[in-house]
Amino acid sequence: MNRSRQGDQLFRELCRDIGADRVHRDGASQLLYSRDGSAFPGGIPGVVCFPETTQHVVDCIKAANRHDRSFVPRGAGTGLAGGAVPCDAPLVISTTKMNSILEVNYEKRFAWVEPGVVNLDLTKSLTGTGFHFAPDPSSQQSCTIGGNVANNSGGPHCLAYGVTNAHILAIEVVLPDGTLVELGDVDGHASGYDLRGVFVGGEGTLGIATRIAVKLTPDPPEICTLLLDFMDVADAAKTVSAIIASGIVPAAIEMMDKRIVNVVEEFVKVGYPTDAAAVLIIEVDGLPKGVKIEVERIQSISLEHGARSVRVASSDEEREQIWKGRKSAFGAVAQIQPGYYLHDTVIPRTKLVEVLEAVYEIANRYELIVMNVFHAGDGNLHPLLVFDPQVPGIMERVLAAGEEIVQVSLDAGGVLSGEHGIGLEKKRFMEKLFSEEDLAAQKLLKDAFDPDGRANPFKVLPSGASCGEVNHLNQLPDGAWV
Amino acid sequence: MNTSLNLDKDHLTACISCGLCLPHCPTYQVTQDESRSPRGRISLMRGVENGLMPLSKEVVESMDTCVQCLGCETACPSGVQYGELIAQTREVLSDHRKVSFRLRVGLWILLHMRVLLVGSRVLAVLQRLRLVPTKALPVPSRIPLRGGRYVEHDDPEVILFTGCVMDVWLSQVHEAALSVLDSIGIRYMISGNQSGCCGALHSHAGFRSTAKNQALQVISALPTDLPILVDSAGCGAVLKEYGSLLGTQEAKFFSSRVYDIHEWLINDSKWQESLPPRRLGSRKVIVQDPCHLRHVQKAHGSVRELLTPFVDCLELDDEGLCCGAGGAFSVDQPELAKEIRDEKLKSIQRAGGHLVVSANPGCMIHLESAGVEILHPIQVVAEYIGGRDDHE
Repeated sequence: MNRSRQGDQLFRELCRDIGADRVHRDGASQLLYSRDGSAFPGGIPGVVCFPETTQHVVDCIKAANRHDRSFVPRGAGTGLAGGAVPCDAPLVISTTKMNSILEVNYEKRFAWVEPGVVNLDLTKSLTGTGFHFAPDPSSQQSCTIGGNVANNSGGPHCLAYGVTNAHILAIEVVLPDGTLVELGDVDGHASGYDLRGVFVGGEGTLGIATRIAVKLTPDPPEICTLLLDFMDVADAAKTVSAIIASGIVPAAIEMMDKRIVNVVEEFVKVGYPTDAAAVLIIEVDGLPKGVKIEVERIQSISLEHGARSVRVASSDEEREQIWKGRKSAFGAVAQIQPGYYLHDTVIPRTKLVEVLEAVYEIANRYELIVMNVFHAGDGNLHPLLVFDPQVPGIMERVLAAGEEIVQVSLDAGGVLSGEHGIGLEKKRFMEKLFSEEDLAAQKLLKDAFDPDGRANPFKVLPSGASCGEVNHLNQLPDGAWV
Repeated sequence: MNTSLNLDKDHLTACISCGLCLPHCPTYQVTQDESRSPRGRISLMRGVENGLMPLSKEVVESMDTCVQCLGCETACPSGVQYGELIAQTREVLSDHRKVSFRLRVGLWILLHMRVLLVGSRVLAVLQRLRLVPTKALPVPSRIPLRGGRYVEHDDPEVILFTGCVMDVWLSQVHEAALSVLDSIGIRYMISGNQSGCCGALHSHAGFRSTAKNQALQVISALPTDLPILVDSAGCGAVLKEYGSLLGTQEAKFFSSRVYDIHEWLINDSKWQESLPPRRLGSRKVIVQDPCHLRHVQKAHGSVRELLTPFVDCLELDDEGLCCGAGGAFSVDQPELAKEIRDEKLKSIQRAGGHLVVSANPGCMIHLESAGVEILHPIQVVAEYIGGRDDHE
């Protein structure tokens, strides 16, 4: 039977098993589910499925197994590393319609949610209860908790509260052979290997989460947000190190350089200083007296290190607007150029000054615009190269500059990804960071979950064969939008 | 079927697919499907423009199901001009798709005031006789038996734009607006039947040439240089867009004279002088922003400013998400409109309070038919300071 007749049979079985209105394979759906928020022009999905129950997900994966197809889990498609880009005409399994909050247990401080629940929607639904969900990626208004689990997402406030992994108690998972298992335990009593911890950050290559028990974090009694500005990027970077070195761990320390501050201010108009070389957003929370002391110390440390001014947000509204600016930064870059390519390396905080200098130097040398907006507190860089993909030869320059930025970060003792995942985009760098033995060990782990290589193939681990579509990143077809 | 949408390439490339628009799109919110989102619609437009996608049934449905609330424009950090893109797309599609009979009849009636008037009187009588079920048609549950009674002044200072359906179905709102003007001593005239329909609904449905004809008619009917006050957010938005729609100096000057009535009042010195020294009541009112006031005219703040001296304004927690009325959307896509409205009803319930105000006839009718107690903000103001109080 050829592939297309096989595809017809698979389509019919999916329609029978989960309902025809939950299975799409028209050209429009195939185009829309061919890419995510990353720079990849996209692959081609075979069939797009919209399960609404765990059983639907099991049915989808079993159908994929019967027809020897792979599958790609997908949340809101806001990922920046191509993790949801379909390679090799797989089933795309969109969990966006599985978006119910199933149970909230205030006593034990956890909630069971479906994977399609939007990150911010969970926190909004908890308004007034004194709790929130702590991981707050910049895309939190759109991204799903399933996607957060897959990428072990971070966010500004993960500096003090820890990344997604620290907030996931248990996960119900459909394994790549269709078996349903529960990893972890809401009471934290799981014994043996921490397979929950393995699954978080698995980027959809180990199975699909269908129910997730998340930890609820108490709202801090007092929050204070500071906006500091500097006439020199290096002064801002030194301030970050000095604050942490003094023993204070603020809830968040974020940095934005001049270019990104200007586009963000154009959108939120909250009065970001557009003439400064860099700004820091620092948030301190906790008991009122402690917050007051820490704010005073941060003010004096930053003034010693060259801060021009320190603005303290005087109302919740002002605080929200400052954060809205920071969290809209990626989305705002098209004000400058319609394409962007960014990295997500993490470097030791003490190396911030020299690595930032090197990033600017690399961009200058390749005649590219770079904008830096990142989680300074934990050294998680996001150098954004922005460009017009229509300019001939630009992709070669962008990719070469990107590679140098990665190399500089690794040379400084850094790692490839803080929160966006490896996906398609960074797997070509995996060999720079890991030895052959390291990668072989990781491959054994992947094989233990997914011996047939069915779950989100061609992602994370470098492989001899390559997803054909990925080569597009190097050679954009004429008139393509990146 | 393969055709070009003639879209502005810079507008198309401005979207980088970040997805920050998704939670602000009412159709994505109820479907969780990319093809019902601004990001997805723009991707499909690109697909059509660069020859990867034919204008398939699915593409047409994706564009047809857009409410055009433009909540996505407000949310977009890169300032993508989605409104331009979808309007242009809908114009091209209007040649390619079947427009429902209901919508065609509805849009035709708006252009024929006499038919609208007579039909509405008949409907009003049938409603009183309980011969039509209240929720069967997208009309107010109690259409007035008589038209609005407006006493105009000689030597007017402003014009109240009365439009088409609103004048026939919700004339009590115009009466309230005029009574507020009376109370602060503003002399006025009304646009009346000569100007007729503004063409907003035709423009939304993709019939831009009809909308342009209506624009020419309205502009020629109101040749003075007086400010034009509008108490319908949808009409106000399109009147303000005549300048870009027609591109003429005359149209641009006309558009510069148009004000949402709340926006005009709060900046008027007579209004400011007549404000009460303290709040008159402790009544709670939920403010529902019409999309064309919030996302297009960006004048929604003035409604709150106008109401605050009289009542407590309660906010909804959905950040200005559309109610599903969307001009003719609730006629064209009744099921989707209802699902979107259900979300709005939940938000209204969470806000507490009973009375909702909305400054657009479409939203008022759409929400009223779901049992919401609703008034136009200017009616609430008129209750407190109106010169006449005969709208009940």
